Amino acid sequence: MKKIKENPIVKKLGFNRIVLTGVLILMYVLLSLMVNNFAGLPRIMSALNYAYFLGFLSLGVTFVIATGGIDFSIGPVMFCCALVAGYSLTSKGIPMLPSLLISIVVGLIFGTWNGYLVAYWKVPPFIVSMASMNMAKGIASVFTKTQSVSWPQAAQGGWFRNLVKVGKFPVGLVVFLCVAVICSIILNHTKAGRYMLSLGSNREAVRLSGVDIKKWEMLAYILCGILVGIAAIYYVGAYTTVQPGYGDQYNNEAIAGCVMGGTSMAGGLASIGGTVIGVFIIALLQEGILALGFTKDYQLIITGLIVIVAVYADVMARRRKN
Amino acid sequence: MGEVILEMKEIDKTFPGVHALDHVNFEVRKGEVHALMGENGAGKSTLMKVLTGIYTKDSGSIIYEGKDIEFHGAREAQDAGVVIVHQELNMVGHLTVAQNIFIGREFKKGIKIDDKKMNEEAKKLFDRLNIDIDPTATMSDLTVGKQQMCEIAKAISHEAKVIIFDEPSAALTESEIEDLFKIIRDLREQQMAIVYISHRMDEIKVITDRVTVMRDGCYVGTLITDECTKDDIINMMVGRVIYEEPKTKSMVAPDAPVVLKVEHLNAGKMVQDVSFELRKGEILGFSGLMGAGRTETARAIFGADPKESGDIYVNGEKVVINSPQDAVKHGIGYLSEDRKRFGIVVQKSVAENTTMADLPNYIKGIFINKKKEREVAQKFVDSLNTKTPGVDQLVVNLSGGNQQKVVIAKWLCKNCDILIFDEPTRGIDVGAKNEIYKLMNKLAAEGKSIIMISSEMTEILRMSDRVVVMCEGRKTGEIAIEEATQENIMNMATREIG
Amino acid sequence: MEIKKSKKIFKQEVIVFLVVIALLLFFCLMSPDFRKYTTILTIMDYSYYIVLMSIGVTFPLITGGVDLSIGTGLICYSLAGGYLVVHAGWPTGLGMLVSILFGVAIGTLNGVLIGVMDLPPFLATLCTCMITRGLGSICAKNFGVSWPTAGTPGSWFRSIFKITVNGTKLPLGFVWVLMLVLIMNFVLKHTKMGRYTIAIGSNKEAAILSGINVKFYHIMAYVISGFFAALASIAYSAVFATVQPGTGAGFELEAIGGAIVGGVSATGGAGSIVGSLIGVFVICLLKTGLPFIGLQANWQQIVTGLVLIGAVMVDIIKRKREKK
Repeated sequence: MKKIKENPIVKKLGFNRIVLTGVLILMYVLLSLMVNNFAGLPRIMSALNYAYFLGFLSLGVTFVIATGGIDFSIGPVMFCCALVAGYSLTSKGIPMLPSLLISIVVGLIFGTWNGYLVAYWKVPPFIVSMASMNMAKGIASVFTKTQSVSWPQAAQGGWFRNLVKVGKFPVGLVVFLCVAVICSIILNHTKAGRYMLSLGSNREAVRLSGVDIKKWEMLAYILCGILVGIAAIYYVGAYTTVQPGYGDQYNNEAIAGCVMGGTSMAGGLASIGGTVIGVFIIALLQEGILALGFTKDYQLIITGLIVIVAVYADVMARRRKN
Repeated sequence: MGEVILEMKEIDKTFPGVHALDHVNFEVRKGEVHALMGENGAGKSTLMKVLTGIYTKDSGSIIYEGKDIEFHGAREAQDAGVVIVHQELNMVGHLTVAQNIFIGREFKKGIKIDDKKMNEEAKKLFDRLNIDIDPTATMSDLTVGKQQMCEIAKAISHEAKVIIFDEPSAALTESEIEDLFKIIRDLREQQMAIVYISHRMDEIKVITDRVTVMRDGCYVGTLITDECTKDDIINMMVGRVIYEEPKTKSMVAPDAPVVLKVEHLNAGKMVQDVSFELRKGEILGFSGLMGAGRTETARAIFGADPKESGDIYVNGEKVVINSPQDAVKHGIGYLSEDRKRFGIVVQKSVAENTTMADLPNYIKGIFINKKKEREVAQKFVDSLNTKTPGVDQLVVNLSGGNQQKVVIAKWLCKNCDILIFDEPTRGIDVGAKNEIYKLMNKLAAEGKSIIMISSEMTEILRMSDRVVVMCEGRKTGEIAIEEATQENIMNMATREIG
Repeated sequence: MEIKKSKKIFKQEVIVFLVVIALLLFFCLMSPDFRKYTTILTIMDYSYYIVLMSIGVTFPLITGGVDLSIGTGLICYSLAGGYLVVHAGWPTGLGMLVSILFGVAIGTLNGVLIGVMDLPPFLATLCTCMITRGLGSICAKNFGVSWPTAGTPGSWFRSIFKITVNGTKLPLGFVWVLMLVLIMNFVLKHTKMGRYTIAIGSNKEAAILSGINVKFYHIMAYVISGFFAALASIAYSAVFATVQPGTGAGFELEAIGGAIVGGVSATGGAGSIVGSLIGVFVICLLKTGLPFIGLQANWQQIVTGLVLIGAVMVDIIKRKREKK
């Protein structure tokens, strides 16, 4: 076992990520055997649709968790972005491009607000998340007068759907992977990423090194907010309609993807590559659960259990180190 | 002195990478005060933790009241009558004094906790010890000294037969120490066995009956206090290690410019009207008891904690320091007493820690120039003689001394000229200690200016060019190394302020 | 010193109480419709389940943790018990017992995840929050459940909370809730359970070294939270006609917000049950009062969020001052 782990190729790719890829493939094979027609393109496209928006959420929350914080307002905030932008588009006559920007700006505002409270006021992140989650729902409901919003189809001027796919070509996958690569670069090769990871690991030591930790911590939440805004676009690109008052379940799924990918809840340790694979596993799992004939409720329960197991594995790994 | 109540034989304990206890023997008799001495990291605390079951021993035996025993956790030891008064206080700040003393074994009236009875019992305990503390006071409102008294009261309330004091005097003023000694003498009269861990030679001579010395995890020997001299004990403690020669005169040129001047600094209770100067190439020792306000002064100068008033001049110019960023900008670096918490990021590599403070200089475009980072880190690894397999090694895997060197490298990398070393050798093994001393002298010779906060008198006398002494948040003295002695520093450090 | 400290907590409770009065006066002044007896009944109806959740969640909060599963948990327990009563013909009492046992079970699960397995509290309870939501829907086969309505057999439990005497409806539930508040106040202040809860939140290491069975009491804090969420589910079932699966998210904000407004520290170690009770009424008043001044119901979510953040900020500023 140790030998495998120390093999240079394995080391380069990351043992954890290889195992996860294995799990992903195994899951796919199993589901294909258990469910008729699962192996076909439609299922894959459907799973990908799920993976896009979840992926952006997961990438965003990876930055926050890297700093040792948490943001479980992302699901409802994503809905808030989609609703505010969608309502502007359909009921206020704002053109498509500005509407998409509105989505990102709403995400950005929430991210800034969360980050400001956590970094500059030292409000515990779970309190901030809880408050933002409900405020996002409230704002979305108030803004849309509690109506659901349907984004236009491609034929009715919904060109943004080309961002998801053109014909059968998965544009979304390309965009998602590009964004993931950018996130990976930010996290591993820039000052911002270095400081985020370091302050997640030992914030006082970084502060006493003369680093403006508040700024960098807030930046993590801002990046998360922007990615949530993008996630909203991909959500409506795939599912068209959003309803105010929902979105909670995606918090858990996004965090699940992130933690499964090897990002430590204690902060300081994060892997974008791991998050990407984790997201695909979660997306495939959701697709699989439905394909096996279970309801959405089972998705909630199974995702919940997965997070518990993944976080416990992280806790155990840290205990062993100490 | 009565019969032997507790005997530890051939105790062996290994931690990953450290042989913490190497077949150590120790015994204590009823009605004696037995000192356990040794340098930092000699294994005294580890031995006591093995005794009280906080650590499990690898081999050896513990005989208590004639029986072979092994405790599993502090509670079991307590119940059997072996109680430890910890160096770091273990108090629940939100609860009252009485609630703390009886925590885990509250008196009850039905299902209700009988707070009234607990207060009465606590009062009785305090009366017995002749100390005046209100049992209903909230713990976090008491001074460190009073909290310590509560710990002692708690220990006694356990019907203890063996009480272990782990550096009890480190935070106490002189009058509080006298009170403590009175209590200890009373306890000895009552035939209790007392283990007294301390660094302070004077105390050992005053209060103890026998001395056991440990060094590098080994048992060195046991002496009867009245029959030995201070030098005997010191020789046993220091052993083979040859330290840097103690300074007999200042190495600083008389005309060396003042690089840092602090005037009337105030920051809370622990820093009141502190003023001093630091010259180029000087090592300025900061001496005092634990809790005298030295660390707080350093943190206030460095901008880590807010200050209320006071001026700071760097190289003659008045500067505003409101955050560590400001301090670093003016070339001040701070090496914390608690490396793991405040100094290093353990999950990051040597290289990443080295450039932590100076990262903006390692940016090419928007990317970190990792090649340059590694090269510079390697340079410091070589020049400081840091023992690490490579600059990509995670700092968590280095020993204490080498971690300290990484922190030093961080500040040298940032090119800081004023370095504040807060307890630079705490938790570092004896050999590495000397290397840190050498390094500090070398840095001073190269023109860096160093403030060294230390609770070890020998360290202060060995390293400083000049000594500033603090007590209860105030500067109580300043003395040139030529005139400094343990006695006059100690006098200043325990001076009561009227 | 002790006197000074208790005075401080006392003061916070008084201030929050004054806020409640001020809010009442404000709404009375602003809206004539608010000045009615039925408004009091509405406020009371809304307060029961939130106060009950708040009493429970105060314990995890004082340990320095949090329980986010109480909101969806409440719905889940009510659905499970209600389904058995309505669709399987169980007696009402037995259905309630199932609700309570369910709550205790989830509380125990939370406690084990946090106290024994060391998971971060918000994450563990976020998971159980989702799990209970799923379980609730599955138990009720995805349909709403209506516990027996007033007048039908088995509806005796509704009159626990509201009885009609001489044609006037009386909010009897408040008496029970107040009694529970006093009992739990006693538990927190004068029993081992409460004392060790504070010790865990204030200095867990010291608690362990004092030989306290920290794991047990840590688990118990969450069991209490789960138990009270279950009691809240009964209050909810008794007050509202139908319980819908998939709802309940956001209730925890009201309960936790109430506790924190009432002086429970968001970082653990300090708090009181009476404070939580008064804090909840701030939230409830906003919830019932805002529609009277022309703001639609969803404004309440936004305002509650802001109130929570505001309360934590006040706490942070206060502690900073105390340090000095």
